[in-house]
Amino acid sequence: MSALISTRTALALLVLGLLATFPLWGSAYFVGRVFSPALFFGIAALSLVLLAGYGGMVSLAQMTIFGLAGYGYGVLTVTHGQPWWVGILGGLAAATLAAFLFGLVAVRTQGIYFLMITLALGMVVYALANQNRSVFGGHTGILGIRAPELGGHLLTERALFYEVCLAAALASYFGVRYLLRTPFGLALQAVRDNPRRLAALGYHVALHRLAAFTLAGFLAAVGGLLGVWYNGAISPTAIDVTRLINVLVIAVIGGLASVEGAFLGALAFILVTNFASSFTERFNTVIGLTFLAIVLFSPEGLSGLAARPVEVLRRWRGRRWRASDTLDVRQAVGRQDE
Amino acid sequence: MTWTQFVTVTLNGLTLAALYFLVAVGFTLIFGLMRVVNLAHGSLYLFGGYVGWTVADRTGSWVLGALAAAAVAAVAGLALQQALLRPIQGQDLREALVTIGVSIVAADLMLAQWGGFTYGFSPPAAISGGARLPVLGIGYPKYRLFILGFALVVGLALWLLLTRTRLGITIRAAIDDRDMVSVVGVNVQRLFALMFAFGAALAGLAGVVGGSALSIASGEDARYLLASLIVVIIGGMGSLAGTAVASLLVALVEQYSLALFPTYAAIVSFLLMVLVLALRPQGLFGRPA
Repeated sequence: MSALISTRTALALLVLGLLATFPLWGSAYFVGRVFSPALFFGIAALSLVLLAGYGGMVSLAQMTIFGLAGYGYGVLTVTHGQPWWVGILGGLAAATLAAFLFGLVAVRTQGIYFLMITLALGMVVYALANQNRSVFGGHTGILGIRAPELGGHLLTERALFYEVCLAAALASYFGVRYLLRTPFGLALQAVRDNPRRLAALGYHVALHRLAAFTLAGFLAAVGGLLGVWYNGAISPTAIDVTRLINVLVIAVIGGLASVEGAFLGALAFILVTNFASSFTERFNTVIGLTFLAIVLFSPEGLSGLAARPVEVLRRWRGRRWRASDTLDVRQAVGRQDE
Repeated sequence: MTWTQFVTVTLNGLTLAALYFLVAVGFTLIFGLMRVVNLAHGSLYLFGGYVGWTVADRTGSWVLGALAAAAVAAVAGLALQQALLRPIQGQDLREALVTIGVSIVAADLMLAQWGGFTYGFSPPAAISGGARLPVLGIGYPKYRLFILGFALVVGLALWLLLTRTRLGITIRAAIDDRDMVSVVGVNVQRLFALMFAFGAALAGLAGVVGGSALSIASGEDARYLLASLIVVIIGGMGSLAGTAVASLLVALVEQYSLALFPTYAAIVSFLLMVLVLALRPQGLFGRPA
């Protein structure tokens, strides 16, 4: 067993090293246009994985919160001319507050109702951003948003931005993995599996859900700040229904209950959108069909597919396969709340 | 606001409510019967609108277009239910995800086929042009009054169907307790297929009826999906009366707030939804889960 752990650690260190040095040896296109966005979309997808895979709450409002952080930063720095750190704090605070308020409305419901209500909330915010000119800038949104400057370097310089995204992604990744091992994280997974029993044990189920939703909102907000720096602008199209659904597509492609899957899914999604668009105009059809195929045939997503050979190998080597982190997504996705 | 404005805004609200009702009633009945949240419902609306426009354009007949829209949407809905949803029946979240996938593909394929243009219909002469109302002598488009009447007829027909016919009684019984109905010898699967086709047909028909009042363009699918969602969340899932009342409430509130404070109209429908959810999480006419 010790040999397995050390190979694992070695493998993890190798992956980390490769990721950290990627700007030195990777192509500029991949660093700037593929991996950086994959990292910040991955953070948004991670917030959904935390909610859906571990909290049983399939939220379609995660991109709305992502976008609201960007709006907060943009409004403060561009419209009100505040320095970047005020923008960061304000953006994070505004988006997390929005998540808290959405949570207050949504956590009273479960399963399919939760999905519908978060979808409706997201679409209403889109409509508001589109109509309101005084704060949201209407259909145009907010243009000319500048990323923070560190020692004379704009944060959006390719290699620097990649490293910042990587740091944020790693912090979110390890943060979520840690959180899932805490009493709070365990209770959250218990809420997913049997809210009634947990309530009988004396846990405040709605409060747990609300806390998880707010926390996931903060994660999405972190991704949203990186996203708005990357784009340099924000408009209602960043939070339209297609985007709201895209993050669900990312999470499902990666595996709805897989913390790594969030980033794998984001990478796959961005590769498909970037490269499929060069040989077909119908890349949304490609994405939609992939999504459908995964929902119908492989509920564990890509990480489930990747886990299968490992599982076979372990069985072959006579080791007992641990269900460990990969819970039965078939259940998580297909459970009926009766 | 003058009286004339008030009457016009109210009429706009009523006709919009009629349209919302036509779209949302299929959505809510499908949910009530089989617990499927069909997030491709907006796509069926748009698909019906496009097909209806194409047929009306080729044949020159608006009525033929409307009928074709209903028929084609019914077939599409039936195919969706039989091919994709039936194998995973009972897993409500997964079913919702499948309908999301379908809506992505459908939106893209429709964009490929019909492009990003805006299509307008020309309804028959009998229901186009203006009418002068007996009240205050206000002029109002005849077509919008037609929508109002049409939705009333559809709503009344549905009510009679659900309360007065054997089929309706079976449907209501199945909404209450599917398993029991199946045990007493009703072919529930056939009922599901029928209801899905019917709900889809209504959405497709609404595509032409609604598209003639406003227009048909890509993006309308999301708009009517949102309307359906809010209407059924407020009205309560699976309730005909709830759909009617919530359509009225949502559309009137939307039109009044658009007239009074245009930039914050979206917030008002949001607050309406929050208020209802806070007081009655199951919706105005919904039964507790």
